[in-house]
Amino acid sequence: MGYALTIEPLGQTLELDDDQTVLDACLRAGIWLPHACCHGLCATCKVQVVEGEVDHGEASDFALMDFERDEGKTLACCARLQSDVTIEADIDEEPDARNIPVSDFHGTVSRIEQLTPTIKGVFIALDRPLDFQAGQYVNLDIAAEPGMSRAFSLASAPSGGCEVELNIRHVPGGRGTTWVHESLRAGDTVKLSGPYGRFFVRESAQKPLIFMAGGSGLSSPRSMILDLLARGCAQPLTLVYGARNRTELYYHDDFVRLAAAHANFSYVPALSDEPAGSDWTGFRGFAHEAALARFREDFRGHQAYLCGPPVMIDACINALMQGRLFERDIFTEKFFSAADAQQVRSPLFRKI
Amino acid sequence: MDMQVPKKKLSLKERYTLMTRDLAWDTSYQPKEKVYPYAGYEGIKIHDWDKWEDPFRLTMDAYWKYQSEKERKLYAIIDAYSQSNGHLGVTDARYLNAIKLFLTGVTPLEYMAHRGFAHVGRQFPGAGARVACMMQAIDEMRHAQTQIHSLSNYNKYYNGFHDFPHMYDRVWYLSVPKSFFEDAMTAGPFEFVVSIGFSFEYVLTNLLFVPFVSGAAYNGDMGTMTFGFSAQSDEARHMTLGLECIKFILEQDPANLPIVQRWIDKWTWRGVRLLSIVAAMMDYMLPKRVMSWKEAWEIYFEENGGALFKDLARYGIRMPDCAAQIAKEKDHLSHQVWATFYNYGAATDFHTWLPDAEEMDWLAQKYPDTFDKYYRPRFEFWREQADKGNRFYNKTLPMLCQTCQIPTVFTEPDDPTKICYRETTYKGDKYHFCSDHCQHIFENEPEKYVQAWLPVNQIYQGNCFDDGVDPGAPGFDPLAAVLEHCRMVHGRDNLDFEGSEDQRNFEEWRGMSKRNA
Repeated sequence: MGYALTIEPLGQTLELDDDQTVLDACLRAGIWLPHACCHGLCATCKVQVVEGEVDHGEASDFALMDFERDEGKTLACCARLQSDVTIEADIDEEPDARNIPVSDFHGTVSRIEQLTPTIKGVFIALDRPLDFQAGQYVNLDIAAEPGMSRAFSLASAPSGGCEVELNIRHVPGGRGTTWVHESLRAGDTVKLSGPYGRFFVRESAQKPLIFMAGGSGLSSPRSMILDLLARGCAQPLTLVYGARNRTELYYHDDFVRLAAAHANFSYVPALSDEPAGSDWTGFRGFAHEAALARFREDFRGHQAYLCGPPVMIDACINALMQGRLFERDIFTEKFFSAADAQQVRSPLFRKI
Repeated sequence: MDMQVPKKKLSLKERYTLMTRDLAWDTSYQPKEKVYPYAGYEGIKIHDWDKWEDPFRLTMDAYWKYQSEKERKLYAIIDAYSQSNGHLGVTDARYLNAIKLFLTGVTPLEYMAHRGFAHVGRQFPGAGARVACMMQAIDEMRHAQTQIHSLSNYNKYYNGFHDFPHMYDRVWYLSVPKSFFEDAMTAGPFEFVVSIGFSFEYVLTNLLFVPFVSGAAYNGDMGTMTFGFSAQSDEARHMTLGLECIKFILEQDPANLPIVQRWIDKWTWRGVRLLSIVAAMMDYMLPKRVMSWKEAWEIYFEENGGALFKDLARYGIRMPDCAAQIAKEKDHLSHQVWATFYNYGAATDFHTWLPDAEEMDWLAQKYPDTFDKYYRPRFEFWREQADKGNRFYNKTLPMLCQTCQIPTVFTEPDDPTKICYRETTYKGDKYHFCSDHCQHIFENEPEKYVQAWLPVNQIYQGNCFDDGVDPGAPGFDPLAAVLEHCRMVHGRDNLDFEGSEDQRNFEEWRGMSKRNA
């Protein structure tokens, strides 16, 4: 049994394994702490322990001085919890984060829809309403594999009450998604926990928003857009949605209708592999190319939210930076792993 | 009842802003351009200094507290090391020649970096950047001081440590590091930060510190190792400043990209040429070796630098063109430089030697494609000659590269049997270079580099003798006069390690420490 780590000024709480370092836990939870050497020498990851006990591990005497140990400083890359701990780290506050506590839910599958040949819409009626920020995800227990769970973004708006929707692409060979696609039926009971993640709209910045989605990465942007429009958001919103072909493009008609109903919402679907002779009149090419064309290669003054496969995210970031939108205004659903912290990676970017 | 609403605690970022940028003010009776006269002429366009992200949040009071404890620990170790005659615990007195190279060639650079950052810390119009540069200026001063103090212990016992600031300004090969930093310091504030803060501190610093600090650890040199660790806890700050600066410049205006790219091209090459001294030290000077230069290069430049340039590509920055030539040179660099030092061992402020059989086998193993083919035969021939009493000392002064100031000893990138010479004519005078890249750097700013103070040219012009020396006197020995001018004692500070006073003393003292007299 591990201890709980609360990170200020975010106010977020994580459960740590016994031998897990503070840095590792934060990075895995998508909380970026400044760090560099990862073995206690450079002091980049120094944080303040506000409450609780930590073991400083292999922190160097030159990187973590005696007086600092007395003052409760520690190096996140070496620190392991000896009790429940609260730390204060040098990270920017997020005025838009609601820091909703994670809890467990039971539910029943109310229906399953085949959205595209590879993506299913799974609708779950929960035992009580799930409060979440649009863009967040849940961990769904895979009943066929005891102890296994998989992360899925919530595709419905937070106003949905007890019913939530997940859009799940079948990953060939993937045990979790194969179970969802082949075994899960309406009426089955499921367990999930959430809400997780720091992918939510930074509305307080008051900027026009660009959403870029690929495949089933549409879930989070869809939830965000439905939520913003329902609450009367007046900022211009653009959804650039890329799929391979017309059959993989889902909720297309819904977005066309939404765009007709809301003057501040535009919808830009892009197909990268649509047969040449088809009746598709929309953009042909990748999502980032559609965005570049739509915004005439100039994204200044916007905020962008990206969700999709890593290759697409990378292409979109490159396109956005080419159009002079930079890291502070780009948000992605990115998970860091312990391997990320170890591998050769330049520290030029923090979160993209 | 009145309730006191507790004030929300300030975040680290807010606190830092209040204690740094918030103390800045806008000028009212002088225009900004006159207060920051160097901010514009490089062509860098900055529209919004508020977008500068502080790379670290360290205030003066915290800095003082932190560094004073660090200093106490460092000096306690240095004291213990010197009181217990720690110098007799190094692998071999030969090792100390690497440390002489460090004291004369690297420590003065720390001081130059201090001056440079203090200068730009005054010149940037943005308060955030000024504060960051000022903090680094203080760090660099401390590094210079702690290095001098750590190494002064060796000056009590060994030759060559006695007058490093004087030598730094005069000894021929030390004009290489000196001119490197003077080039950076006489550039504008943005180029200085890109050259030192980014190219040197970020891209190349590991290649400087790992050889020396790990070399010290491997060779029992506790003093050097300790100041290395002490400095490393500051280096992370310096690296983040370099990175922040380059991101900031590139994000401010698209017109900055070609300027920054030219600086990165220039300073990567300048840095690599400077590090050729370290390459020789790593492969030839450590009795107990850490890794080969080539291996260090592959890890710290090709791997780490490659990851960086991959990310920089998002801004439109590409890997410098010189990377292709550098990749070809990594198999040759250290051998060519050490061969040069061996040639000019009568004019170095440290001792030189030929690698022994075991060392040559190690080199052959680390450089399977080049060492046995090109360099072993040369060293073996010199060994043969030395054994016959013909130790070869080159007495002809070499031609220097106008840009990097290294003798033109490097070979053509595609032909290791042919020395690479380049030349260009500017205003009727001919200038010489070691490589295409040094030539291009010159051609881009000829008015700057025609002013270079090249030791060889200065010796020939009679500017490297002590006052009152008469070069016309009968029997005048110009090389002896140059050594005197550098305050080097012939036969004591220079020539072969084999048979030197350092070698004799070390053996004798080490013997005394183990046996009763």
